[in-house]
Amino acid sequence: MSDTKVTKVVLQSNDGTTIEVDRVVAERSMLIKNLIEDLGDESVTTSAIPIPNVNDPVLRKVVEWCEKHRGDSLQSAEDESETRKKVTEIDEWDQKFMQVDQEMLFEIILAANYLDIKALLDVGCKTVANMIKGKSPEEIRKTFNITNDFTPEEEEQIRRENEWAEDR
Amino acid sequence: LTTLLDVCTSQQLSFVHQHVSPLLKKDPFTSLPDELCLRILSFIDDPKVLARASQVSRRWRDLLSDDMTWKNLCVKHDYQRRMSEVNHNPPMQLSPLPSAVRSEGFTFGSQDSDTASRGLPSAALPSCGLPTGSMSIDGSVTQFATPRPRLKSYKSHFKQRYLVDAAWRTGGRNISKNITQEAGVVTSLHLTSKYIIVALDNAKIHVFDTEGNAQRTLQGHVMGVWAMVPWDDILVSGGCDRDVRVWDLTTGNCLYTLRGHTSTVRCLKMSDANTAISGSRDTTLRIWDIRTGHCKNVLVGHQASVRCLEIKGDIIVSGSYDTTAKVWSISEGRCLFTLQGHYSQIYAIAFDGYRVATGSLDTSVRIWDAKSGECLAILQGHTSLVGQLQMRGGTLVTGGSDGSVRVWSLERFCPIHRLAAHDNSVTSLQFDDTRVVSGGSDGRVKVWDLKTGHLVRELITQGEAVWRVAFEEEKCVAMALKNSRTVMEVWNFSPPEDALE
Repeated sequence: MSDTKVTKVVLQSNDGTTIEVDRVVAERSMLIKNLIEDLGDESVTTSAIPIPNVNDPVLRKVVEWCEKHRGDSLQSAEDESETRKKVTEIDEWDQKFMQVDQEMLFEIILAANYLDIKALLDVGCKTVANMIKGKSPEEIRKTFNITNDFTPEEEEQIRRENEWAEDR
Repeated sequence: LTTLLDVCTSQQLSFVHQHVSPLLKKDPFTSLPDELCLRILSFIDDPKVLARASQVSRRWRDLLSDDMTWKNLCVKHDYQRRMSEVNHNPPMQLSPLPSAVRSEGFTFGSQDSDTASRGLPSAALPSCGLPTGSMSIDGSVTQFATPRPRLKSYKSHFKQRYLVDAAWRTGGRNISKNITQEAGVVTSLHLTSKYIIVALDNAKIHVFDTEGNAQRTLQGHVMGVWAMVPWDDILVSGGCDRDVRVWDLTTGNCLYTLRGHTSTVRCLKMSDANTAISGSRDTTLRIWDIRTGHCKNVLVGHQASVRCLEIKGDIIVSGSYDTTAKVWSISEGRCLFTLQGHYSQIYAIAFDGYRVATGSLDTSVRIWDAKSGECLAILQGHTSLVGQLQMRGGTLVTGGSDGSVRVWSLERFCPIHRLAAHDNSVTSLQFDDTRVVSGGSDGRVKVWDLKTGHLVRELITQGEAVWRVAFEEEKCVAMALKNSRTVMEVWNFSPPEDALE
C-alpha cells in the first residue's frame, strides 16, 4: 500500500460508460472495497473497475445513493439483526430516492445485492415491502403484474388456510 | 411495422397501446432470487399481510412457507420464548402464590414473583452481579428436566400464539361456577398445569381440574385456611388453626399435620419437593421436611407477624409487620441480613435470587440487594398500602389499596406505566411477558398490555369483588363475589383444535 491513498476510482457499467467517484463513495459497496484491496491501489488508478452486472442508469442511481450516504457508518452484522427487528421506516431522502418506476426499483435491489451494499438493499426491500402492505392478494398481483397460477380449488384452500390471520 | 404504425390514426394507436402495454408489463419478482424475495418479506411484521401475500401465486405461497420468515415474525412479536415453554411440567409453579388477610372486608395478598417458572432472563440483572457461589440459585426450579417438546414449525407456532393473543383480546371461552352458597372469602388461588386449587376462610380447600371440574374438597383444617402452596401432586396448607397440613392431591388424603406454630400460619412456600417453609403470626418461620413430617428448623428474629415470604434456592426472604424484611439461609438456619427502612408493616415481598422487593403500608416499595442487604431504591407513587408485588426479569409490577397498578423498570428504578386500574383496592395481580391481569375489590378483572400499558379488556362480568386472579398462557381463573356468592370463572384462550391442524 502506498502512503498516498487513491481518492478517486472509475467504475465502468456493463454498457461501457464510466463514472468517476470518490473512493470512499465506491467503497460503500463491499464488493468494490474488497476488489480494491485485492487488486491494490496501483491497478485501480490505471484502469476502470468493471461492474458487469449493472447498466449505466442503475449504476448512476446507486452512485447517487452512495454519495448521499458516504458518511454513514457501516452496519455490523449484529447491528443488522437489531435494526431488522424494527419497523420498516425509511428516511425521507431515501423515500424520494426510491420514487422510481418499478423496473428501476428492482434493478436497484439487484444491483445493491450484487455490489453488496446492505443499507441500500434494505431500503429497496423495505420500499417493496411497503408496496405489499395493506393490499389484498388481487391488489398485490395487480401492483406487480403477477399471474395467478392457482387453480380455483387451490386458491380456495389457501384462502381457508390463511383465514386465521384476518381481522378478528 | 414502423411504416404500419406511421399510417395509423391516434385512435388506432391508442387501441394498439391498450393491447400492447399489458404485454410489456412483467412481474419484477421473476428476476429476483428467492433470497431477495425473503429479505423483502422479512420487513413485513403483520401476519395478515404475509397471509394475504401467500395467496398471490404458487411462488409466493412457497416463499411464505419458508420458516425463516415466520421465525423472524416470532422474534418481532416476542413469541420466541414459548418454544421452550410448551411443555410445562410439574413441579413447575404456574401460578402466583397468594396468601391473604381480611382487611376492610377484602383481601390483600402477597404474590409470588413467579420468575422461576418462566425462566429468568440473565440480562435482567445488570448491576447486582452476584457471584453464584455465595447464594446459589436453585437450578432445579428454573431448568427443564424433561426433553424439549416436539418442535413445531415457526409458522404453526406463530399461528398458535397469534390466535391465543387474539383470544385474550376479544375471544375466549369461559365457564362460571358457584363455589359456596354463602360469601366465603377466597384466601388463596393456584393454577398449576394440573389443578386449580382454591382455599377459603371457611377451612375448606377445593381442588378442580384445569377445566374447572370439581375433583375433591380437602377437609381437615378447623379454621380459615390462609396460605397454601402446591408442588406437583402435593399441597401444603396452613391457617388459623396453626397447623401446617400436607395433602396428596391425587387422593385428597392428609399426609401430615405439622404442629409447632403458636399462632396463625400466614404464608407458605416450598423450596424443593421435600421442603416447605411457613411464616406465622407467632413471628417465626419454620422449615419442614414434608417427606418425614419433621420440623427441621425454626427461624427466630422477627418482632411481629411474618406476613409474606419468598424462596430462591437456599435463600428465604420474609416480610413482617415489624416493618423489616429478613434474608435467611436455609442450610445455615440463620438470618443473613435484616432489611430495615420501611416505616410501617410489610405486606408483600418478591425475590428473584438477587433483588428483593417489598411493599408496605407506608405506601412505598423498596428494592434491596439480597447479597449485601443494601437498599437499592425506594419506589414512591402509591398513595396507600402496597399489597401486591410481582417481579419478573427487569420489571416489577405493584398493586395498591389505592386501586392503581404500577409497572416499574428495575433497571432504572422508575415507573413505566401508572394504571388507574380499579375503583378500590387491587386485590390480586399477575403478569407475564405480554400482559398484566389485575383483580380489584370493585369486582372487575382487567387485562393490560404490559408494553403499552393499555387496557386490553375486562374479563368477567362485574361482581361485588374479585378475591383472586391467576393466569397462564392460555388460561385465566378469577375468584369473585357475585350476588353474595363465591364464584369461580375459568377462561380458556386455547385455539380450537381444528384451527391448528
